[in-house]
Amino acid sequence: MQVRFGGFGLTTAGIQTWRGLGASARLGWQVSSNWTSPGVFLVYSVLRPISAALILTVIYQVITRGRASTYLAFLITGTAFWSFVQQGLSGFANAILDDRGQYRMLKYIYIAPLPFGVYLVGRAIAQLAGAAASAVIVIGLGTITLHLPINPLRANWLLLGVACLLAFAAIVAIGMAFTFLLLAGRDTHGYGEIGAGVLYVISGAIFPIGILPGPLATIAALSPLAYWMELVRRSLLQAQAYQMFPGLSDVDVLIRLVASTIGTVVVASLVFRWADRRGRQQGYVDRDVQW
Amino acid sequence: MSRPSALRIFVKTVIARAYPRTVGHARNWSWVVIEIVLPLIGTVAMVYVYRALRAPAEYTGFVVLGGTLLAFWQNIVFDMAGNFIWERGGSNLELFTVAPTTFTAILLGMALGGIFYTAQRAAAVLLVTSLLFQVHYRPAGIAPAVGLLALTLLALYALGMLLASLFLFFGRSAWHALDGMQEPVYFLSGFYFPVHSLGAYVAGAASIIPLTLGLDAIRQVLLPGTPVFLAPAWEAGLIALQIPAYLLSAQWALRMMERLARRDARLSMRWV
Amino acid sequence: MPDLIQSAAVQTIALRRVYQSRRESVVALDGIDLSVARGEIFGVLGPNGAGKTTLIKILVTLLLPTSGQAFVDDLDVARDFQELRHRIAMVSGGENSGYGLMKTREHIWMFSQFYGLSSRVARARIDELMERLGLTEAADRYVSALSSGMRQKMNLIRGLVTDPRILFLDEPTVALDVGAARDVRREVRRWVQEDPTRTVILTTHYMNEADELCDRLAIVNHGRIVAQGTPPSLKQQVQQDVIVDLQLTLGRDLLTELRRVDGVTAATVTQQDGADRFSLLLADDGVLTSVLGIVAGSGREVLGLQKRDPSLEDAFVKLVGRGMAEEEAP
Repeated sequence: MQVRFGGFGLTTAGIQTWRGLGASARLGWQVSSNWTSPGVFLVYSVLRPISAALILTVIYQVITRGRASTYLAFLITGTAFWSFVQQGLSGFANAILDDRGQYRMLKYIYIAPLPFGVYLVGRAIAQLAGAAASAVIVIGLGTITLHLPINPLRANWLLLGVACLLAFAAIVAIGMAFTFLLLAGRDTHGYGEIGAGVLYVISGAIFPIGILPGPLATIAALSPLAYWMELVRRSLLQAQAYQMFPGLSDVDVLIRLVASTIGTVVVASLVFRWADRRGRQQGYVDRDVQW
Repeated sequence: MSRPSALRIFVKTVIARAYPRTVGHARNWSWVVIEIVLPLIGTVAMVYVYRALRAPAEYTGFVVLGGTLLAFWQNIVFDMAGNFIWERGGSNLELFTVAPTTFTAILLGMALGGIFYTAQRAAAVLLVTSLLFQVHYRPAGIAPAVGLLALTLLALYALGMLLASLFLFFGRSAWHALDGMQEPVYFLSGFYFPVHSLGAYVAGAASIIPLTLGLDAIRQVLLPGTPVFLAPAWEAGLIALQIPAYLLSAQWALRMMERLARRDARLSMRWV
Repeated sequence: MPDLIQSAAVQTIALRRVYQSRRESVVALDGIDLSVARGEIFGVLGPNGAGKTTLIKILVTLLLPTSGQAFVDDLDVARDFQELRHRIAMVSGGENSGYGLMKTREHIWMFSQFYGLSSRVARARIDELMERLGLTEAADRYVSALSSGMRQKMNLIRGLVTDPRILFLDEPTVALDVGAARDVRREVRRWVQEDPTRTVILTTHYMNEADELCDRLAIVNHGRIVAQGTPPSLKQQVQQDVIVDLQLTLGRDLLTELRRVDGVTAATVTQQDGADRFSLLLADDGVLTSVLGIVAGSGREVLGLQKRDPSLEDAFVKLVGRGMAEEEAP
């Protein structure tokens, strides 16, 4: 059956999928924010990234002793945008593990006609929306209090938007695959933090990947996150950006981001499919968690 | 009716409650991975930040010691402060209450068990990062550092007992509040930089957390060139004062908690 | 304190508990007067939300009464709670206590230590109780690996190992299979018979359990005791009624209509094997004619009709106005 919306044709299954996606995103938001008022929720959501930014600011000021450097803006932008990875991986993994272990709902969602992947994407979107609020606040506070050279009128919003869309696709893909792997364990709550932590080291969020030892630097260069961080800084800070890849133009970095994102999504999809099949073989989805 | 003395029950409770903490962690290696790998990742990342800033070598030592003690703070936050909320969810709290023992003994048992296994994790982080980044310590400072660590842990776990009773009243927001306590304390306690850098007022206020003073004193005795916030002897003295202060506050809070909990039915209320 | 209190294992006087929240206040107990003698197995029966668990929580010192008094083993639950905790134990059905990574024996030992029991005595008692309840094989199994039946047996052993004077059991056999529930009931009965000063207070949903196990019962509804006495004396309350089981083919709702019939004291319905089974308490045989008239008018076919002896469930239905599993009408 096909329903027409303006010039677009949508099958009933397609409409159900979109509805499912919206419902999953709403559910994700409600579950993660149902404990308090939106104001308090926002405070808790930004407390961690603001403190992380403060730690890095103090480190920067202790070492540079007031010398002018573009590295402070590098640190603050990296910390602010890191929230997306933190929420898309660690927050997302914990949410799904809670769906299984604490709320014992995952099995019912899994057997619902809505594709499970769509549900997961919906939950991930809710996590990323929470991260967006904290990123905006950290960047805003950093610009005002630390005088970061960010001018909203001169920022390249198109480049930022494209880079973020690509990065979110990669983050959601990694988050889904990683979470499905974690479902194999009886008590893997907290492992999401490790996954995010590993990416923290190889993403160029708070230091250039060039100073990593050889093998780690190679892995970092294959991941889309470092290129995303680079484009975020170039688009917001323009000429004042501390560059990790000074030899590459914006277009070169974007091409690398596209290529590494495609590679990441393909690999993550394969891992997801494998983990899904294995999960059904082993009965992970409705596993009781008891510690 | 003859019955065991309060002291006997207290001692037995401490030992019994420490038991699952020690054997449980030995039986569940997944937590070992988390508790070693997480502080390790944070420490490694901060060392690279200092390297990117071309900081003097002693800063690597500051980060390594901060990363080592971080394991204890995580243990306080999630295994002590959040423990009663967790116990309530699994209906243990009701049974603890109905028993003729005290919450103080139960928390003390948890603390001892926590110190036992967290010390192993912290030692692993210290060893790995010290070797990885070639950190050199002053040999003469090792014995005083161990003494300072013991003192700091006493005060820290007394604070953990106080937090455990307070967080029981947080309801749904408890886990979020605990989660939100991590980075702010890393910042205020100077986990990744000498607390002297925060200035006298902020560092002084942050000294309410025993780790702030303990970590600074340990850095001073082990790592030459640590900027002085307060002399280690003063810091040790202040920590020693914090121990009875937190213990007495914890006792008071626990009594208050039980009274209010019995009145308001919070001992068996579950938030999911 | 009156003399009666001195001799009773449990005594409550005008016990009232109100749960207060910002939006509403709920009266869970509304003036409960109760006296349980030593050596009794005393049952508290009632539908969901009747106040059974609140009563138990007050008696085991988990909750303070809003007003009134409660004494357990001659001790005031509000004032003497520390001393009282040496003398009682509590086991709840579906309880999820303990730590999954501890072994069954270790779990029970840990709780015994909170009562100051020597480890040697505790281990001997644990072994004995495990054998009696058929749990020896699971002694070294992790708590997380126990079935719900095994887990509840473990909980019962935890309650018994400290040798309490009064044992509080809150729905101890809920969700257990027939065999496990029978083992639990048998052990409770044996434990009380072993020492006549021991007392059990039991809340349950299961009429058969209450009938089989309890020396006396209180039926609680809306926070009040609507009747108390021995199971036979409670059944006496419906001795005068004619009790009829009527099996009908499925069809439109008849329960409300039947309850309105003059002479129908109480009525419940359950579905069994694709048919409706109505249990009717009638004032006399003559009422049956009116009942069958309504059935004929409904177009439903009579599959079976029989008179039977009164059960505890009939007494419950008559006193509470609905069956145990039936939701209260809004």
